[in-house]
Amino acid sequence: MTTITMDNADTHSGITNAKLGVWLFLASEVMLFATLFTTYIVLRMGATSWPWGWDALNVPLATLNTAILISSSVTIVMAYAKAYDKNVGGFRFWMLMTLLLSFGFLVVKAFEYGHEFALGIGPSTSVFYAVYFTMTGLHGIHIIGGIIVNSALLYMSYCQEDWEHPLFLGRVEGAGLYWHFVDIVWIFLFPALYLL
Amino acid sequence: MAKSNDARAHDDHRPDVRKYMLVFGALLVLTCVTVVISKFHLPRPQAITLGLLVAVVKAGLVAAVFMHLWGEQKLVHKVLYVVAFFAAILILPLLDLRMVVSRITERMPVADQHPDEGAAPEAKPEAAPAPAPASAPAPKPAKKRAKSAPKNG
Repeated sequence: MTTITMDNADTHSGITNAKLGVWLFLASEVMLFATLFTTYIVLRMGATSWPWGWDALNVPLATLNTAILISSSVTIVMAYAKAYDKNVGGFRFWMLMTLLLSFGFLVVKAFEYGHEFALGIGPSTSVFYAVYFTMTGLHGIHIIGGIIVNSALLYMSYCQEDWEHPLFLGRVEGAGLYWHFVDIVWIFLFPALYLL
Repeated sequence: MAKSNDARAHDDHRPDVRKYMLVFGALLVLTCVTVVISKFHLPRPQAITLGLLVAVVKAGLVAAVFMHLWGEQKLVHKVLYVVAFFAAILILPLLDLRMVVSRITERMPVADQHPDEGAAPEAKPEAAPAPAPASAPAPKPAKKRAKSAPKNG
């Protein structure tokens, strides 16, 4: 008699179900942001005037945030590398760095928003600011989601059973894929809203 | 000891720290390039093309190296092809270059965009008729506006 086992819930495609699930989730996220970018293009083409990012927004702060987010992409991939090598100390260090950089991004963003609100600027000020607050706000929510997941992984690394679980590496990889996607969204948001 | 399927699935993505650092440096340099380009006050079409080109290169580096898409299983690539197809459906209608160019270079007259709005206004029935010479016949009363008159908007 043949025994069929669900060995780590593998698919027959060479990737795990969890990883396939993360990619499908990211596919839906791509469509979400593609819709927003399309809306941005339509509104911008239909507007009689559109402010230059350097005049309307704080470009140096946004550039700093870009550097922070790119750095966090490196730190999370380093955390994955350490998890791959079963180096728990290294994993905790790089994941903690990722979390610190994530909070750094939010703090810089909070300064930016705070300055705009202090000037009486909000989403209802103009179409440009409506687009700006909607897109950067949604991106910020995604950052918060990533912080929650990465914090959970860091917490789990302190539990021997979770750390040694055969699926832990896949969880780190999934979190990393999500975080890199958030980085890619910002890579397009930054020039679209601040520079062009 | 035989490896689990999960471990085998990750063997394709053995971390390469040196490559990660190279991409990190490239991303920082490209970010600076984007910012510098925007300071040159290039014409909008050129600035947008250059800015998007740099952004696509940066996103490609992140996806290929950090997300391990380079060398990923074909199933993931197929998922992304489907996404690209539907995203193209969203974006392609915006690539009506004739419309874009006409928007940039000249504004279409309102009459061409909305013929109803550009039409000559009808004579107002309430307007007092000009005093006619004594020999001319008396003016007819103005007709009511036709029911089929187009509405604005």
